[in-house]
Amino acid sequence: MDQLIEELKKEIIEVLNLEDKKPEDIDENAPLFGGETGLDSIDALELIVMMEKNYGIKLQNAAEGKEIFKSVRTMAEYIKEHRTK
Amino acid sequence: MICSIGDNILSPLGFTSAENWNAVCSGHSALKRYSDHFDLPEPFCASLLDWEKVEEKFAQLPNNHLENYTRLEKISILSAADAFQKAGINPAAEDVLFVLSTTKGNVELLQDLHDYEPSRPYLWRSAQLISRYFGNANEPIVVSNACISGCAALHLVKPLLQKHGFRYVAVIGADVLSKFIISGFQSFKALSPDFCRPFDADRTGLNLGEAAATIIFTEMAETKRNTIGIVASALCNDANHISAPSRTAEGLLKTLRSVMAAEKNLSASDIAFVNAHGTATRYNDDMESVALDRMGWNKLTVNSLKGYFGHTLGAAGVLETVISSHELLNGQILPTIGTQNPGTAAEIHVALQPEKTDKPLFVKMISGFGGSNAAVLFTKFLAV
Amino acid sequence: MKNLKILSYSRITDDFVSLNGDLILRRSASDEPNNVARHWLSEIYSKIGMEYPKFFKMDLLCKAGTMAAELVMRSLNMVNDEVKENWAVLCFNAAGSLDDDRTYQQTIQTKENFFPSPAVFVYTLANIVSGEIAIRHHLRGESSCFVLEDFSAPVISRAFEDALDTADFGLGGWIEFDKGHCDVLICAVGTGNQAELTDFSAENLNSIYQKKY
Repeated sequence: MDQLIEELKKEIIEVLNLEDKKPEDIDENAPLFGGETGLDSIDALELIVMMEKNYGIKLQNAAEGKEIFKSVRTMAEYIKEHRTK
Repeated sequence: MICSIGDNILSPLGFTSAENWNAVCSGHSALKRYSDHFDLPEPFCASLLDWEKVEEKFAQLPNNHLENYTRLEKISILSAADAFQKAGINPAAEDVLFVLSTTKGNVELLQDLHDYEPSRPYLWRSAQLISRYFGNANEPIVVSNACISGCAALHLVKPLLQKHGFRYVAVIGADVLSKFIISGFQSFKALSPDFCRPFDADRTGLNLGEAAATIIFTEMAETKRNTIGIVASALCNDANHISAPSRTAEGLLKTLRSVMAAEKNLSASDIAFVNAHGTATRYNDDMESVALDRMGWNKLTVNSLKGYFGHTLGAAGVLETVISSHELLNGQILPTIGTQNPGTAAEIHVALQPEKTDKPLFVKMISGFGGSNAAVLFTKFLAV
Repeated sequence: MKNLKILSYSRITDDFVSLNGDLILRRSASDEPNNVARHWLSEIYSKIGMEYPKFFKMDLLCKAGTMAAELVMRSLNMVNDEVKENWAVLCFNAAGSLDDDRTYQQTIQTKENFFPSPAVFVYTLANIVSGEIAIRHHLRGESSCFVLEDFSAPVISRAFEDALDTADFGLGGWIEFDKGHCDVLICAVGTGNQAELTDFSAENLNSIYQKKY
């Protein structure tokens, strides 16, 4: 789990172009959206693409993302359960 | 009065404004379901042109082999040729200026350039080829302002005619659909898997459409046939977010206030209807309802044409103005097809059935990516 | 007609950055030739000391335009949170958003690797750069984007003059980014009484554009 969390932090920084952030700057329990990281609706859509590309998880409804992307930890938990690659 | 002297719509519903008007009056929609189209993994609903028919029409034009024209250029030329014929003016004259409104032009050539030269995906190049087809030597203007492009082009007409020495301005709006555009909107989760339902409480997103539309404008004191004139136009940026509309509808509200303040004695009670953008995305329709509410226009009749044509991108502002002008001049407001149960952030009156009107004004409003908003106020200009 | 002045202007090209006619940065020749544009724009960002996290999300066209606008607004002491209702933003270029369009096309080119990117797609509209500038500086007047074959001072000045019939100020100009090359001239235009200000005219716009550093 911890390994997946670390992996996710790196991927999030890369796909969302958070050039001013390092993995250790992201608290896996803190809200990803509406909090410190300042992510927006386009970032949420990009995370949906990332889940499909890297973990083979297809979200049909963007609204599902709301629960999954609460924090890096909730994301990791969801991926662990649903990944197909 | 700056007025229209000729127009055209080229869409799946017809090759002239009259054909399109008759089709929408009969409640026809160009929207269809497509799967395995454009090599896309997911199905979609859209209004796509029958390209065999387009080719057939294009083959009937004179000089159609001057260049190897692209799909976008062909529909633009066909649309403009018909509008010029209706206007009865010579498109090659030096006091005629072409304005092209398009969001993506020939972007499909990025997938495969075929035999085209490398400059062909550039929007200025298409505009040049279109105006040169007609023998017009003026450097055309290209407006590429996302979804509001068509109305942003209409906004240029007044200064071009009044300050810059042109006698006629031809505004052509056109876009064609491709894997590029559909996949992008799909990645935005903005497309409805089903036919769109503008302003409906259960709306699930937009449908895209292909079309070209043209309006030719000139300034004159009186007219021999009934037409529409531009009273005022305005553009405003929300300065809020590049893809999400302002929740308070700041920019759109400002454009509406601006056009209503353009002349003394303009009154909302003279507005026959507001032709909204009404894309059927949750955010757009809510935002438009908030703007109308803040104007105090809750009782004004509002309609959206997306259920007939889909969202035709760079053509939308022009095409929807042409249909709206027919509505105004015929005193007949079209219903918003696809919608059953209106439900938006603010309560507004969405036309669900045809309505009659004898009022003199209509407002075309539109908003899009980049935080852009536009409103244009039109009036009847009746024959003397 | 208003007596319009160029209140401030900046240039960002492949080789230099200038503000109001003064060179402020020159690209060192040692940059990797493959990725000059990306590196160079990041270098400018850190050297001019801009702090704007949204910058990292932008495509290269928006990065170049936003930084040039930043320099202009900074020199006017206008980088603040105040909403500016009567500022218009006008952008002109030849390539539209084609640089980002090509990047997006890469995400959909093959069936095997088909992952259309929303964050790339959103920049595939020529006018997003005017939106980014409007957002950064809270400019709520009209915004528009025009595509021309080449830089044309007469066309640009005509559009500014028209917009300033209603707006008080205009910000924008030529913002081109194509195939790894950038060429940006941004100016702020408005009425001003200071004698040292340059008149806003096609001729003056052209000489600002042509000046080499």
